[in-house]
Amino acid sequence: MAQLTLPKNSKITKGKHWPAPAGSDVAQVRTFRIYRYDPDADTGPRWDLFDVDISKCGPMTLHVLIYIKDEIDPTLSFRRSCREGICGSCAMNVDGRNTIACTKGVDELKGSGGVISISPLPHMAVIKDLVPDLSDFYAQHAAMEPFLRTTTPEPQKEWRQAPEDRDKLDGLYECIMCASCSTACPSYWWNGDKYLGPAALLQAYRWLIDSRDEATGERLDALEDPFRLYRCHTIMNCTQVCPKGLNPAKAIGEIKKMMLERMV
Amino acid sequence: MSSGWNDPRPMSPFTSIWRWHVTMVTSILHRASGMVLAAGSVLIVAWLFALAAGEKQYDKMMELLGSWPGKAVLFAFSLALFFHLLNGVRYLLWDSGYGFEKETANRTSWLVMVMALALTLGLWAAGYWMFEAFPGQKSH
Repeated sequence: MAQLTLPKNSKITKGKHWPAPAGSDVAQVRTFRIYRYDPDADTGPRWDLFDVDISKCGPMTLHVLIYIKDEIDPTLSFRRSCREGICGSCAMNVDGRNTIACTKGVDELKGSGGVISISPLPHMAVIKDLVPDLSDFYAQHAAMEPFLRTTTPEPQKEWRQAPEDRDKLDGLYECIMCASCSTACPSYWWNGDKYLGPAALLQAYRWLIDSRDEATGERLDALEDPFRLYRCHTIMNCTQVCPKGLNPAKAIGEIKKMMLERMV
Repeated sequence: MSSGWNDPRPMSPFTSIWRWHVTMVTSILHRASGMVLAAGSVLIVAWLFALAAGEKQYDKMMELLGSWPGKAVLFAFSLALFFHLLNGVRYLLWDSGYGFEKETANRTSWLVMVMALALTLGLWAAGYWMFEAFPGQKSH
């Protein structure tokens, strides 16, 4: 049975409140409720409130986090690298939706009751603050064997592909593995150990329809299982949140079609 | 992960922080309406039993179904039927590879909810109209 609430050790308590410094322009101050967890402390996770003068930061949510770390609380932990939507490191839940903080404009955030919540990617083990453990997620990606599998002898130059076959990879190869989609998926929440999740399945489809790949049958065999593929119930959260605008739900639908087509 | 969290580290919040999408609403409603239909089929069997048991028992059943709580149950049953039927078409289209685009899925979500409600109200309006039009029929 699906667990709808957090387990005992994960209940979130009220934490600190960091008011904006005196003299801040009140109209520019927005309140961010940020999930905090310190593995070295004996206490569980908490919500800290930060009142931030957003005229002091850049336009993106990541800028706010960096501002908080630099100016308010240097212990705040989060992953970030490229700051331009290509590395996928800063994926987190912002304002109730998974996204990458670096491409999410603060002006886009609605908030709830004047407070914008920021928490780690949902239903994951938290290492610290906004940093979740993605080991299982990466293992699922690796299990998809995300590389060309061939049996024919290697050509002298490159494996050739017609432009129209190459076009089929558009909307698939762009995945940056930020895990926004998989950790948005209720099926992945309840069965993340057995269901592969949208990111891994999009990756699987990227190789299934690659005209150069010669392991289509084996790849489909590996997905033929009540959980791995078929736990997708087309809830669509993956497609709703993908910060790159990709459509994992459609890719999964296409895999289901391939399964059916090879049976009839 | 569904049963028991053995990790010493906390699990990050999920249901408590998520801002719902309309496609998520229709997904959960599909499941809920499916459960209502399963329960409703038991009701149909009970009605058939009453029919087979004789006039007195049948009258009693019809009295029960004709009461306000009975009508409320039947209304929910018919609403669940229309919703499940219409949303089922979305699943058929998805299985054929259509309707996965975000905007399309959002629009069809709203469409099936509005249409299910409209068809249910239409069915009940038609039912009441027939009852009015043929007053000779015995009211149960």
